[in-house]
Amino acid sequence: MNDMRLTERAVGTQTTKITARAVQVFYGDNHAIKDVDVDIADKTVTAFIGPSGCGKSTFLRCINRMNDTISVARVEGDILIDGEDIYDKRVDPVQLRAKVGMVFQKPNPFPKSIYDNVAYGPRIHGLARDKADLDEIVERSLRRAALWDEAKDRLGEPGTGLSGGQQQRLCIARAVATSPEVLLMDEPCSALDPIATAQVEELIDELRQNYSVVIVTHSMQQAARVSQRTAFFHLGNLVEYGETGKIFTSPEDPRTESYISGRIG
Amino acid sequence: MSLPMILLALAVLGTVSFILSRKRAIASVGGDARRLHSLPTYYGMHGLLMAMIPAAGLLVAWLVIQPLMLERSIAADFPESAIPEGSTIGLVMSDVRRVADALDRVADQGALAGRSLEELEAVIADGGTAMGADLSDALLTAANDYRAARGSLNMIMLVAVFAVGLIGAAWAWKRSEGEFRARNVVETGVLILLVAAASIAILTTLGIVLSMLFETMNFFQQYDWKRFFLSATWDPSFSGRGGGSELGIIPLLWGTLYISLIALIVSVPIGLFAAIYLSEYAGKKFRSIAKPLIEILAGIPTIVYGLFALITVGPMLRDAIASPLGLGSSASSVMTAGLVMGIMLIPFVSSLSDDIINAVPQAMRDGSLGLGATQSETIKQVIIPAALPGIVGAVLLAASRAIGETMIVVLGAGAAAKLDLNPFEAMTTVTVKIVSQLTGDTDFASPETLVAFALGLTLFVITLGLNVLALYIVRKYREQYE
Repeated sequence: MNDMRLTERAVGTQTTKITARAVQVFYGDNHAIKDVDVDIADKTVTAFIGPSGCGKSTFLRCINRMNDTISVARVEGDILIDGEDIYDKRVDPVQLRAKVGMVFQKPNPFPKSIYDNVAYGPRIHGLARDKADLDEIVERSLRRAALWDEAKDRLGEPGTGLSGGQQQRLCIARAVATSPEVLLMDEPCSALDPIATAQVEELIDELRQNYSVVIVTHSMQQAARVSQRTAFFHLGNLVEYGETGKIFTSPEDPRTESYISGRIG
Repeated sequence: MSLPMILLALAVLGTVSFILSRKRAIASVGGDARRLHSLPTYYGMHGLLMAMIPAAGLLVAWLVIQPLMLERSIAADFPESAIPEGSTIGLVMSDVRRVADALDRVADQGALAGRSLEELEAVIADGGTAMGADLSDALLTAANDYRAARGSLNMIMLVAVFAVGLIGAAWAWKRSEGEFRARNVVETGVLILLVAAASIAILTTLGIVLSMLFETMNFFQQYDWKRFFLSATWDPSFSGRGGGSELGIIPLLWGTLYISLIALIVSVPIGLFAAIYLSEYAGKKFRSIAKPLIEILAGIPTIVYGLFALITVGPMLRDAIASPLGLGSSASSVMTAGLVMGIMLIPFVSSLSDDIINAVPQAMRDGSLGLGATQSETIKQVIIPAALPGIVGAVLLAASRAIGETMIVVLGAGAAAKLDLNPFEAMTTVTVKIVSQLTGDTDFASPETLVAFALGLTLFVITLGLNVLALYIVRKYREQYE
C-alpha cells in the first residue's frame, strides 16, 4: 500500500495542475495577498498553513473565483489551470467552479434530501442522461466520500439531519459529483470532532488518486498527516513552499520555523 | 380621589417601599452588600412589587365589580310602579346614572340644596345631560341613593387599597434581611407578569370568538342556517317593513374570494420578484433607497387607495378594456378593487420575503455557487426552497389582509352583492356587508343586523382554515437549514 503511494507521489509531482504568478488580492484598500507565486501539482494534496488572517483562505478562493462573489474583492496576476488563464475574459466562472470543486469550513448541506444534495451539481450541469445514470453518479460520489454505507437506506431524508462529520462528507460527495479536476477544501475539519476528522482525512488521502486537492488548515498535525506539499502563508505573503516533510523538519525561512514551533501564530 | 391620583399615590408608596426595603436589607448585614443573598436592588424591587401589585390588583377588581353590585342593589330598591310605560329597568338605571353624574357636577358648584324638582331638571339639562325620561321623585331618590352609596364605597375602596399596599410594603420590609432570596422572588414575579401578558392576548382572542359565537347562535335561532349558507341571493329588507330578507352568504363570499384572488395574483409575483431583486442582485446603495420607498406603499391609508381606485383605475379600466370588449360599463368592478388591493399588498409580500431571503445563510449561496451553479439557479433551487416557509407566511398575511379589506372594496368594487364570473362587474365582499348591516339605525334583535356576526364568524373560520392549511403546507415541504 505504502509503496503504491510512493510511486503515485512520484508521478503526481511531475505534472503541474495550477500555476499562480504574481497574484495580488485587495479587499477594498486592504492588500490581502501580496505577490504570490506557486505551482500546485496534480494528484497531490497541497496544504496551506499559516496564522489566522494570513490570506490562505483568500488565496484558495481565488482558484475557483469565489472572490468574484464579494463585490469589494479585486484579484490581479495570473492563475492558470492546465495552462489556461482562469481570469481570462472568455472563461465563465460558473464553468470553472464546476471544474474546481470546493468544500467549506462549516458543513453546508442544502436543506434537501441526501440524494438531491449530491445530485444538485450533476443536474445543473446536465451530467446525467437519465435517472439511472444520475442514481449511479450519486452512488459513486457517496461511495467516494465514504458515506454510502451510512446513507444508502436514507437517501430521501434531509441532509441537514446527518451528524456534523457525515454532513461534511456529504459536502465532499456533493463536490465530487460534478467530477471536478481540483478540489479546494477550506478548513474542512474545523467543525468536526476527532473521529470525524480522521474519517475526512482518510478520505482526502483517497481523493488524491483522482484529484488535485488543496486544503487550508489551522492544524499543523493535519497538514503533516494528509499533505505531500505544504505552503506557509504569513501576512499575505507566501513565505515558504515545498515538500511537507521538509517544511516541518528543516524549514529554510526563520518565520516558518517559528510558526511550526509555536512561537508566532 | 380620582383614579390617576390613586395610581400616583400607589407609585409613591411603591418608591418609598423600594427605598426602605433596600435600606433595611443593607443594614441587616452591616452595610456589606456582598453578604446579602441578592443584589440590594432586588430587595428594593421586592418591596416595590409587594406594595404595588396586590393593591393595584384589588383596585382593578373593585373598579370592575363595584358598579355591577351597586346597580343591582339600587335597581332592586326601585319601585316597580315608577318605571315609565314602554321603558325597562335597564333604561331607567342608565337615567339614574346620568342624573347622579349630573348632580355630582352640580354639587361641586355648591348649588344643590333646597331646589325643587323642576329647577333641578333645568340645572341638569343646562349641564348638557340628555335624559330618557322626565325627572321623577323615584328617579331622584334612586340617583341620590346611588350617589351616596358610590361615595361611601369609593371611600372604602380607597382605604382597602392603601391598607393592602401598606401591608405589602411592611411585609416586604420585614422580610428584607440577608438570607432572604429576594432575587428569586422578584424573578418569579416577573415571570408571572410575562405569563399574564401572554394570557391576555390569548383570552382576548377567545373572548372575541365567544362573543361572535353567541350572537351568531342568536342569528341562527331566527334564520335558517341552510338558507344562510346555501342561498345564492343577498337581499336584506329593512326591519320594520316586515321580514322577508334573503340573507345568503354565497355572493358575498364569492366577491371576497374573487377580489382577494386578483389581489394576490397581482401582488405575489411582483412582491416576490422585487424581494429577490432587492436581496440578491441590487447593490447596497440602491437597496437602501428602494426598500424604504416600497415600504411607503404600506403606509398609505387604504381609503387613499380606495380613492385611487374610484377616480383613476376604475374609469381607466372601463374605458380601456371593459367598454371596448363589451364586458360592462361600470367603473366599479372586481378588477378595479383587485388591482388596487394588489398594489397595496406588494410591500407586505416584498418586505417580508426580502427579510426572509436575507436570513438564508451565506453558506447556502457559497455552497451552490461553489458547485458551479449560476446566481439564478442558486436562487431557484436553494434560496427560495429554504425561504419557502417564510414566503408562504408572507403570502398568507397578504391574503388575510385582502380578505379583511373593506375601504378599497367599497370605493373600487361597489356594494352590490352579485354572483358573476365577469371581473368587470361590480360585486361586493363580506366585510362591506358587515359594515352596511351595522351602520345606521340598527336594532340588535333583528336577523338583518345579527347576520353581521354570522358573516364575521364565517370570515374568521375561513382565515383560520387558511392559516391551518398554510401551516400544513409549510411543515410538509419545508427545507430547514438549521
